[in-house]
Amino acid sequence: MRIKLGLARRRWLVALVTLAAGLSLFVAACGGDDDDNGNFGGGKATVKASKCGDGTGKKATDEPIKLGAIATKQPGTDFSEIPRMAQAYFECVNDNGGIKGRPIQLVIETEQTDPGQIASLAKKLVETEKVLGIVGNTSLIECTVNHKYYEQQGIYMIGSGIAPECYSTSNIAAVNMGPRYSSDGAVQYAIRAGAKKIAFDQSNVPGTEYIEGGPKLVAQDAGVDIETFKDNVPIQDANSVALKLVQSAGQDGAVVLNFTPPEALKILKAAQSQGLQDRVKTWACSTPCNTDFIADALGPQWDGKLGVNAELNLVSADAPDTNLYRQVQKKYAPDIPLGSFSQMGFTEANIATHALLDMKGDYTLESVNEAFEGVKDFKTDILCNPWYFGDAPLHIPNNVDRTVVPKGAVMAQKEGCFPISAVDPAIGQVRKVEKEDPSLIGK
Amino acid sequence: MSAAGAHGVAPSWWSPGRLDQRTRIQLVVIAALLAFTLFALPARMSAYWTDVATAVAIFSVVSLGLATLMGRVGLVSLGQISVLALGAWVAARLAFATSLPFPVVLIAAGLITMVLGTLVGLPALRLSGLYLALITLMLAGAIGVVLASTDFPNGAGGFLGHSESSFGNPGVRRPSIATSDSAYFRYTIVVSALMFLLALVHVRAKPGRAWAAIRQSEPAALAAGVNITLYKIWAFALASFMTGVAGGLLAGSVGHLFTTQFPTSQNIVLLAVVLMGGIYSLWGAVVAGMLIKLLPALLDNWGLPADLLTILFGVGVLQVLTTAPAGLVAQVPRDLGRLGSALAGLVRGGRGPEHGAATSEEPAAPAGRERPPPVSQRGAE
Amino acid sequence: MPSWDEFQPFIVTGLALGGVYALSGVGMVVLYQTTGVLNLAFGAVGAMGALISWQLINEAGWPDWPAYLVCIGFGAVVTLVYGVVFGPPLAGRDPLIKATATLGLALILLGAMSWIWSDKARSLDLPTTQEEAFEVGTIFVNWTQVIALALGVVVTAWTTAFLRFTKLGAAMRALATDREITATLGVPVRRVEASAWLVSGLLSGVSGLLLSNLVGLDATTLTFLVISSLAAALIARLRSLGVTLLAGLAVGVVNALATPINSISEYRDMAPFVLATIALLWLSRRREISFARAGGSL
Repeated sequence: MRIKLGLARRRWLVALVTLAAGLSLFVAACGGDDDDNGNFGGGKATVKASKCGDGTGKKATDEPIKLGAIATKQPGTDFSEIPRMAQAYFECVNDNGGIKGRPIQLVIETEQTDPGQIASLAKKLVETEKVLGIVGNTSLIECTVNHKYYEQQGIYMIGSGIAPECYSTSNIAAVNMGPRYSSDGAVQYAIRAGAKKIAFDQSNVPGTEYIEGGPKLVAQDAGVDIETFKDNVPIQDANSVALKLVQSAGQDGAVVLNFTPPEALKILKAAQSQGLQDRVKTWACSTPCNTDFIADALGPQWDGKLGVNAELNLVSADAPDTNLYRQVQKKYAPDIPLGSFSQMGFTEANIATHALLDMKGDYTLESVNEAFEGVKDFKTDILCNPWYFGDAPLHIPNNVDRTVVPKGAVMAQKEGCFPISAVDPAIGQVRKVEKEDPSLIGK
Repeated sequence: MSAAGAHGVAPSWWSPGRLDQRTRIQLVVIAALLAFTLFALPARMSAYWTDVATAVAIFSVVSLGLATLMGRVGLVSLGQISVLALGAWVAARLAFATSLPFPVVLIAAGLITMVLGTLVGLPALRLSGLYLALITLMLAGAIGVVLASTDFPNGAGGFLGHSESSFGNPGVRRPSIATSDSAYFRYTIVVSALMFLLALVHVRAKPGRAWAAIRQSEPAALAAGVNITLYKIWAFALASFMTGVAGGLLAGSVGHLFTTQFPTSQNIVLLAVVLMGGIYSLWGAVVAGMLIKLLPALLDNWGLPADLLTILFGVGVLQVLTTAPAGLVAQVPRDLGRLGSALAGLVRGGRGPEHGAATSEEPAAPAGRERPPPVSQRGAE
Repeated sequence: MPSWDEFQPFIVTGLALGGVYALSGVGMVVLYQTTGVLNLAFGAVGAMGALISWQLINEAGWPDWPAYLVCIGFGAVVTLVYGVVFGPPLAGRDPLIKATATLGLALILLGAMSWIWSDKARSLDLPTTQEEAFEVGTIFVNWTQVIALALGVVVTAWTTAFLRFTKLGAAMRALATDREITATLGVPVRRVEASAWLVSGLLSGVSGLLLSNLVGLDATTLTFLVISSLAAALIARLRSLGVTLLAGLAVGVVNALATPINSISEYRDMAPFVLATIALLWLSRRREISFARAGGSL
């Protein structure tokens, strides 16, 4: 009797696990989790797309050139599509001759905001995998944890920045502007739209004081009152949050958000379901909101009402690099949605590829990183101004950008390229660097 | 440390009598393992695996704290990760604000965390079982919210020691004798071994016996004159001390601390791995440390998603609670032993594996009231 | 300090939030009252159901209502299977063990959800959320919020009456207290238990749908919402459904009212935890509260 029960129970356990697994597989098979990216605004591509790398059409088969990337991937925060898009671009390059016959291999590591893990992954990439350069990093805290290590190893990292150290240290340069300067841009838009008070809210992750510092300076300089908040994510009480922000901003004010798309969506939808979206002059958002998915999820009531600071050009733009970006996404990474995240990955890979192609001599850790540091006047229609790395104590090469608004389920441009206010001291410093060496931006 | 015991010289407050054959073998094995880990292993590990191994050691100590509470006293705390965060916070603050030698920082962090843990545990000790576990979860949630606002010290001044204009700082300092990663790994192993020794000493001495009595039956223990409140507080204090020291080691290992590395959900994962490792044996804590820090690194190496681990831990919890309450550390040797005898039986042409599979179910069947091994046996583990 | 006018709308949002906590809390206590198991996987089950519904609607093109039914059905099936498979072997154990086992289920579901649906911005739009039901003061309340609150109240009232006045209810209460003795009284233990689990599963499926709308469709939030909802259940000492409901509402209102007060706003998420701790310690000041069973241990 005892033995029989035992066996029966074991069978049940197996049955349960199989049931769960089977159900999951069934659901996953039923269409999988690919977002439908067919419609990006219907922009027709008339301009010829750029080429991937040399554009020879021949597959690269020599010894690979290894590069590495680290990205945050955990419930609530997933930046892994940025290096994956970079990888997609590299695959296109590899199908088109690679780097003088050598394919690029990108080793992607994902982390869960554990500093110990992040530090060890950098060492893994450099010392075990022996990558020659690091391209495509996007993480909440990686720059903080690893920047000293990069300085020690002589690595010049090209990535998408979030933490303050991504913009304030010598060995890291980002293609995006980061939450602080993008929020500056959003506040600048709100002020131009006539807001007399700003209610600025952001997610309570490391670095909030640093991020809100910029908007505070920009608002004060324009003589506009500003109240800053922070909320724990994931947000559980979006209704209260939306209400609090609307109350603070008032009828003549603006609500400026700095959140990842899912959280920003929660607040915006909560505002809508309580009929609050017209209770303020305008809404604004830093760059993460720049995705057609948000425009689609918000619906027509929000057309023109949400000004999103766009660090990168519209995905629907008709221009060489953007057209290539869409082609690469369609062919090599159809499961990655079009949006600013994947644009960043594409651009980082683009920069790295051209730096490698322009190099002369052997490919070693030293020579590759010297090439990365030496990038200047890199023109691309995805960015407003030419990108550069250069030798400077801090790097904010992307400091001019646009504003977009939702319009009929996609994002559309509202304001063309405008410079981020130099009232923010780091921006002021960077402008000085550009002035002293105009060749960085091709002047 | 263990060498003294292996030669039969036992301090008077240790267990009475000579150490038996089994214990002596165990001590030799432990000494050999320690020697290997300290001297041979670091040279063979790359920088990446050294970091992983350091994390395994640190989380073994954290698991030890929880396992002691659960296995010896029968109390479940779902707030140990928050205690770890507190320990790390205190250690970081002291390391930045003072120039105390690192061992002093560790001990101070342990002591302060012990006081905090005990203070928090005091009123909760009137509760037991499910209520205690849930209230520790509530407290963990509360601490998490506070930490999200106060952040961790990063070298600035003021009570909280956190300022966002001091970025680019070098991080929490390491002991002067162990600044390199390999050296710090060895340092961590030594401190962890000391923590395990501390736990062992407690278990084999009076507290261990009192805890065992409380676990079996509180009314009986009370009748026998055991001061239940005192020994429960002692258990909490010990667990908090060890976890606080582990927090100090954690602060020194990477140097930068973030609230995101101590999510409230991690408390549940810790519970899962401690159960899976085995709460009745000190070795179980080592297994738990490996489950929580080594497995993710291995999975990453093999290109598998970390989510598989979450599923595995969930299955592990169910398995342990329904069929193998002593955890992997007892189950695996037992299963291997059964497999061995089953194979031997096959070779001899006798009964097959069926016998083995059936008998491994026995502990669970009778109303599921698994009793832990008796006191004297447990002490040896 | 904000003015009364500014506080007023927060009472409404607080009640809406409290409805969320109350619904989850009541869902967990109902099962506890009928089987002695505190199902900490309540949120995870609902979350997975909601995600499956999302998948069916957005990726496989199903119409709305069949997809919602799948969610509710999924909740019922998973909870029932768990209850039938893992209920009996753990039946005689400490409630702590039974609750810990449900954590195992929660981890399995959480891992599966993270794996299949990696984090992206998703939303499940229930038809009841589109329409604004009525205006309370200056803000609109939508039907989903009303339904959540109403459901919590209905479940509380019905279950309390059921447990007190019906034979099956009495059998369930007996079962939760001592399974073995109840079995000897001729009560069809397994069937009664199974029906309790089934009802709880249906409730978690429905909650999953409502909560995905009220809080957001993401696996982690919905799974760990139970921690905040537990506060309401704890205040009621897992005994009274009515107190759970009221406690849930109270926690929600306190949380919301703290929002506009700048000095404590960022600590407002502590509200459930602090309230639960205070309540438990106050209630236990005279006597020891425990479920200690003779010889029962891990």
